[in-house]
Amino acid sequence: MSHDKFLTTEIRRRTLLASMAAVGASATLGTGKAFAQEPEKPAEIIVRAWGGSWVDSLKAGVSDSFTKATGIAVRHDLTEDNEIQPKVWAAVAQGRVPPIHINWDTTTNATKSALRGVTEDLSDLPNLKNTTELAKPVGLDGYPIVNTYGYVYVLAYRPSAFPNGAPKSWKDLLDPKLKGRIALYNDGIGFHFPAQVAGGGKLEDIPANMQPAWDFIAKIKEQQPLLGEDPDFTTWFQKGEIDAACTISTNAREAKKNGIELAWVVPEEGAKFDTDGLWIPKGLPENELYWAKQYINHALTKEAQQVWLDGLGLPGVVPGLTPPADLVGDPSYPTTEEDFKHLIRISSKVQVENESQWFAKFKEIMQG
Amino acid sequence: MTGSRSKSIVIWTFVITALVMLSAPTIVVLGASFTAGNIITFPPEGLSLKWYGAIAQASDLRQAFVRSLIVASICTIVSIPVGTLAGIALAKYRVRFARSIQIYLLLPFTIPLIGSGIGMMLVFGNMGVLGSLWPVGIACCVINLPFMIWAVTASASNLSPDLELAAANCGAPPLQRFLYITLPAVLPGVITGSLLMFILALNEFLVSLLLVDARSVTLPVQIYNSIRSIITPDLAAISVVFIASAAIAIAVLDRLVGLDIFLKSK
Amino acid sequence: MRKSRAAYPLTWRVMDMLEAIAARLWPARFARALPYLMLAPAVLLVGILVLGLVQIGDSSLRVLDTSTFLMSEDYTLANYQRALTESFFATVAGRSLLGSVIVTVITLILAFPYAYLMVRTPSSALRNVLLVALFLPFFIGQVVRAYGWLIILGNQGMVNEALGLVGVPPMRLLYNYPAVLFGLIQYMLPFAVLMLAPALTAIPAELEAAASSLGANWLGTFRHVVLPLARPGLVGAGLVVVTLSLTDFAIPAILGGGSQDFIANAIYDQFFRTSDQGMGATLSLLLVAVGSLLVGLVFMLFGAGTLAMTGERK
Repeated sequence: MSHDKFLTTEIRRRTLLASMAAVGASATLGTGKAFAQEPEKPAEIIVRAWGGSWVDSLKAGVSDSFTKATGIAVRHDLTEDNEIQPKVWAAVAQGRVPPIHINWDTTTNATKSALRGVTEDLSDLPNLKNTTELAKPVGLDGYPIVNTYGYVYVLAYRPSAFPNGAPKSWKDLLDPKLKGRIALYNDGIGFHFPAQVAGGGKLEDIPANMQPAWDFIAKIKEQQPLLGEDPDFTTWFQKGEIDAACTISTNAREAKKNGIELAWVVPEEGAKFDTDGLWIPKGLPENELYWAKQYINHALTKEAQQVWLDGLGLPGVVPGLTPPADLVGDPSYPTTEEDFKHLIRISSKVQVENESQWFAKFKEIMQG
Repeated sequence: MTGSRSKSIVIWTFVITALVMLSAPTIVVLGASFTAGNIITFPPEGLSLKWYGAIAQASDLRQAFVRSLIVASICTIVSIPVGTLAGIALAKYRVRFARSIQIYLLLPFTIPLIGSGIGMMLVFGNMGVLGSLWPVGIACCVINLPFMIWAVTASASNLSPDLELAAANCGAPPLQRFLYITLPAVLPGVITGSLLMFILALNEFLVSLLLVDARSVTLPVQIYNSIRSIITPDLAAISVVFIASAAIAIAVLDRLVGLDIFLKSK
Repeated sequence: MRKSRAAYPLTWRVMDMLEAIAARLWPARFARALPYLMLAPAVLLVGILVLGLVQIGDSSLRVLDTSTFLMSEDYTLANYQRALTESFFATVAGRSLLGSVIVTVITLILAFPYAYLMVRTPSSALRNVLLVALFLPFFIGQVVRAYGWLIILGNQGMVNEALGLVGVPPMRLLYNYPAVLFGLIQYMLPFAVLMLAPALTAIPAELEAAASSLGANWLGTFRHVVLPLARPGLVGAGLVVVTLSLTDFAIPAILGGGSQDFIANAIYDQFFRTSDQGMGATLSLLLVAVGSLLVGLVFMLFGAGTLAMTGERK
């Protein structure tokens, strides 16, 4: 069984390598029509994406130009990343054609799928050679996923609630007047690592000794934080329920664009930096796999990255991108060595292997 | 109504509390759909129909709505015979192991929806039928089936065994007794049950989420998934359109069969 | 001379034919099997869920290997051991059980007068209004409905603003345990009313009139006449509410502010957040067991209510 699979991947890769360089080039040139060995085009491909401004950016930057270049329509499946995962896994396990062609996913979730062996290998994408090392998933062989940008879990806050100036430390969340006024993600994602530092621990001790993080989180629990997801945070800021939250900068920026009074910082303990990526589930027909790879290849062009990531306000994986005007010098848009010093990056492997315990521990503290 | 003034006061106090609980958020959301602003607020900021214009443009929403109607119809059509027969069997006959069968038929309620969803995803996946709408309809029918069965058993209290015996005495054969006596007696239950099944299937989210794909997505799934960064008034506008179409459907049903007589005490 | 059969109305002939077919297919001596045959489609349909449960049962006996994210090949009871020993699960289970009982009691108290008024009022307009009000909340969806509550009950919501006018400082009304119970009661109310209404229609209004003409005040009539006769309806409605609120996921997630999880939320986390299908499956099965036991207990204590009228009638 595994023997078979290995063989077909090999053959597939060789035929692909020949055709793909050419097509990759033609796609970026926008000529569309190419070579005789190009596999049959499906009418559409399905890309899983997050809703709201996330999918709008992807559409503007990648999907629309892909359709223009190839004539293949792109349909966006807005199922949450967590919720598509069991669907894709079940499809692969049952030998069905998966419900999506491409999954836009967090690197951590994507790594789980890669470890499980449900991802196609992407190391033969021609445009990978133009990418920075950020594109390469850490701790995995080859490219079962391609990272497409990085993002920061910033401390977003309502300036009017901080009359003495922006919060400097995650410990500022322990201020008694913020009781019941702060929000974290449901599973604490983005908060575990800065909590480790704020609790007096060392990042090198992750995952072996995270007691400092749990101690700090227990103190935060005394502040009665609200726990939720991105739309909750926006709503809560909008309706005056909270004054501060640990959230992805993109959502904070989107809320600000919608007229909500918001600003954000990377506190002195640092903030979690992570990546999102694209991957293709196993089980697609040969020709659809080919065009799905073309889509990802296209997402790695500078033109596509520029528009897509302008929408998201995030740093990409090809050199020479121009930051959006509102984010020049912003700590949530790291570009220099110095910027990255303030950010905490833990390998996906450590994260996926321990995440369920971290989530469980966080839940235990918060639900107690 | 018999009774004193104090009785009316007590009853109305409870009813008004219940009415406020049921309708307050709906009224707020309905009002907010006419806002000229970009966020859901009440009272709305200025009046405009712009969010209705926005949803009228969205063909994916319309398609999802049609799919939801199909799913709800499949669910209701399947549930009527299945639930009616089971309901009558439980109400009319002495069945061995009745309690166990009851507990078994209650599984749709005792299994958490996520469990049902994952389970049915695996079962329908094995059968290779995921991606069509009918499995979603069947799934909605299964998870709400107890409502249909119980609506029927509850109205079976109108079913007097004497009536059937009398009919049998007059020489009515079994099928006629079933069609002319049993069935009309439980019809109120069948109607309320079907209404509930249809409305629940139309709005079902969690199980459908696991059974649809991007090409067969239903309206509640589409709406929930489109919320990522901000909740905009178009969602309120969709709800209004939804409620309006439901109100029309209920009004038509009322005209055709008269909902009223089914709930009035005899 | 006998008239030819063709002189009978068409419907009679059709009925006779159907009767003949029914008699052929189902001779009278099979009559004892008839109820089972009538139950068969429902049993089969629910069988789809049972098939799913079998699959889930299989994964509940396997543990997740986080280096491959596959379930173990060997069977083990490790998940069950974890579920029964870790205090987190006990906290969540206790919260759900207590919550579902409280919700059931309050929902029935609210639903009973509502259903009573709906079936007893002489005004069909009022009846329709009450009926439509039951169905309205379904159409705005849980997320949007919660947003509606936030507008009303939030820190800057209408209620807090009204309280502010009389000098009460804003307080948190949402995102706590009472808010979850409140949300569940609101969600369950329509189901309870719809389950109660048919049972109440069966109680003749003359009975109440008789009781009051014999000198009982309305409370006495309620307690000694209406409530006992409505018991099957109350049991049926109570069972619906208790099972549905015990297994609910959305309300605790939306109105609980993230710290009021019910069991179904813990199950969601296992399936969707930590990808641990084994643990999710284990918790699901334990929840089914607890729910079914609870139902069995209610059956023993109160009878099956409107879910099976036979027992009560004879």
